[in-house]
Amino acid sequence: MQHFALTIIGRDRPGIVSQVTETLFQGGFNIADSSCSILGGQFSMILIISNPDISTKEEFSDTFTPLEESNLSVYIRTLKPGGEIRSELEGELCMISVYGADKPGIVYQVAKELGDRNINITDLNTKLVGDKQKPVYVMMLEAMLPENTEIEEVESWMEELKQKLQVDISVRSLVVMEL
Amino acid sequence: MAVKEVLVYPDSRLKKNCAPIVSFDESVEQLLQDLVDTMVDAGHSVGIAAPQLGDLRRAAVVDVSKSKLGKKQENHGLLQMVNPEIIEKEGSQIVREGCMSVPEYTGNVTRFESIIIQFLDQNQQLQVIRAEGFEAIAIQHELDHLDGFLFLDRVSSLKTDLFRRKQK
Repeated sequence: MQHFALTIIGRDRPGIVSQVTETLFQGGFNIADSSCSILGGQFSMILIISNPDISTKEEFSDTFTPLEESNLSVYIRTLKPGGEIRSELEGELCMISVYGADKPGIVYQVAKELGDRNINITDLNTKLVGDKQKPVYVMMLEAMLPENTEIEEVESWMEELKQKLQVDISVRSLVVMEL
Repeated sequence: MAVKEVLVYPDSRLKKNCAPIVSFDESVEQLLQDLVDTMVDAGHSVGIAAPQLGDLRRAAVVDVSKSKLGKKQENHGLLQMVNPEIIEKEGSQIVREGCMSVPEYTGNVTRFESIIIQFLDQNQQLQVIRAEGFEAIAIQHELDHLDGFLFLDRVSSLKTDLFRRKQK
């Protein structure tokens, strides 16, 4: 079945989720994976959806018009076959916490250390906290270390960044207990 | 020796409150053996509870001594527990748990850091032990199964399980 990624963003208010999911339910859509959260003052939804009767974006026609009329932005991405299936990742999961006075480039420089080494980021959240005069940036990142990468190596890269960016960084392995 | 099939949610037996074992007969010995065999066969598992095999009696086994991180900590090796009960608990720790009965998901769960449990062992002896760290987590997870709780009932956030699980 054809799958689509649906992204919906709008000023946060009660009722967005019920409005969106009612539209999907009435339209005969299935929701597979989804993630929704408040970012700033916006509520953002990302959902993988499918509908047995719909195989192209054009067939959505005006399904989401009412949502757009209520000030939600709607974007549909057509997935390639198999694009709804997560690929298997192997390795050790590690968590990196970065926090400090806000400055440009914190996310980029940390991500670059990982991306340059082909390390997959599996989860990332950032939040600007603190007061306006002294904003504090907090980033929580999970990455999958390939077999030949030790957590101590990650720590050493981050140690350099700590000095460069003048932020605090901690790296720890994330143990999943299989029970 | 019998490796049993591990029930997977939504099997309703996983949500049942299990009954205390009143008479310690041969069927209990058999159950404990099945639990140990199935846990060992599952490879990655450090514990399993009777309801995961479809047996709604209060029994569970735990062995963290073979796991990569469990063996770094002090532990009691193989624990075979009948009518286990947590009688004291303290501290808290957060751990990301996965469960054989809920494949594909892991979630962050808060558990007590240290517990004292009492149970009847495989020789019908009353044991009272203190467990900490990984062993304490494993015991709490298995005891939850006896009350019909899955880690999904305790979780604060869900993550997709990124690990390739051992195939039988």
